[in-house]
Amino acid sequence: MRRMQSIFRRSSHEMPGLNLASMPDLIFTVLFFFMIVTHMRHDDVRVRYQVPAGTEVQKLQQKSAVINVYLSASQIQVNSQLTDIDHLAALIEAERKKLSPENAERLTVSLKADKHTPMGVIADVKEAIQRSFALRINYSGTEAAQ
Amino acid sequence: MFRRRRFEQIPELNTSSTADISFMLLIFFLVTSSMDTDKGLLRQLPPPPQEQQPPTDVRKDHVLQITLDAHDQLSIDGTLLTTQQLKEQIMTFVAADRTDHVISIQTDRATTYEAYFRMQNAIVAAYNQLRESYARERYGKSYGELVQEQRDEINQYYPQRISESKPSTGGAS
Repeated sequence: MRRMQSIFRRSSHEMPGLNLASMPDLIFTVLFFFMIVTHMRHDDVRVRYQVPAGTEVQKLQQKSAVINVYLSASQIQVNSQLTDIDHLAALIEAERKKLSPENAERLTVSLKADKHTPMGVIADVKEAIQRSFALRINYSGTEAAQ
Repeated sequence: MFRRRRFEQIPELNTSSTADISFMLLIFFLVTSSMDTDKGLLRQLPPPPQEQQPPTDVRKDHVLQITLDAHDQLSIDGTLLTTQQLKEQIMTFVAADRTDHVISIQTDRATTYEAYFRMQNAIVAAYNQLRESYARERYGKSYGELVQEQRDEINQYYPQRISESKPSTGGAS
């Protein structure tokens, strides 16, 4: 009887420590998830812009074959380089040369333009893009609630 | 006896800091990466115009002339309308003349991009809705569930025929 009591008391006093051995594995799983779903932001965006919203926007496929053109009323930026309208076509060609041949073929220019940009600027930029034969363009926008 | 036991016990590697290291990596990736998915309206531009290209003749009754003026007002043949009305107008127009219609867009240099984007959105929405209903009628499935060949067929059934002219000037407020 005494013996039983002593065993019982001992077990209630000793709390088993939480096993943290699987903790690193859990965190690594989360880490790998983030590494796969995200991509590094390599453009240093110096143009202030806010894209318009639309209901029919689609996800842009093949991010590696995309050249970003950031646009506001006064500034133009191609990938991470500020430029002006006269050098835009040449710069897009230069950026396309950096891509692999397969990507250069299915190149898309993503136009991230501020919603208050006048169409005159947009038309000039589109003409320059046209001259550099990058004919697939994407008017970047956010998804609007219907 | 005491000595031998000491040799048999290999000290275990202390892994309690692995969690901290991987947390640091995780936070690094969270900070440097961006989750944002680029979304937008995908459009195809025509090739640059050749020198001395003769203008192609289109019959006037095949053309839907959409105008966006300097004050962001949308009109078809002089009648003002909203984007929702524009979508319905385009749908009836395209359904009536599937393969020969032309949607002509005229903007002004002072039109804002937002108005232009909303108009493009309405055009895409009109075509999408037509293609969706044809896909349901033809295959009994949503357009999004079809394979690429079936989609191409539907896209050919309802082709997008849009012409954009250079923005006009002089509409300054």
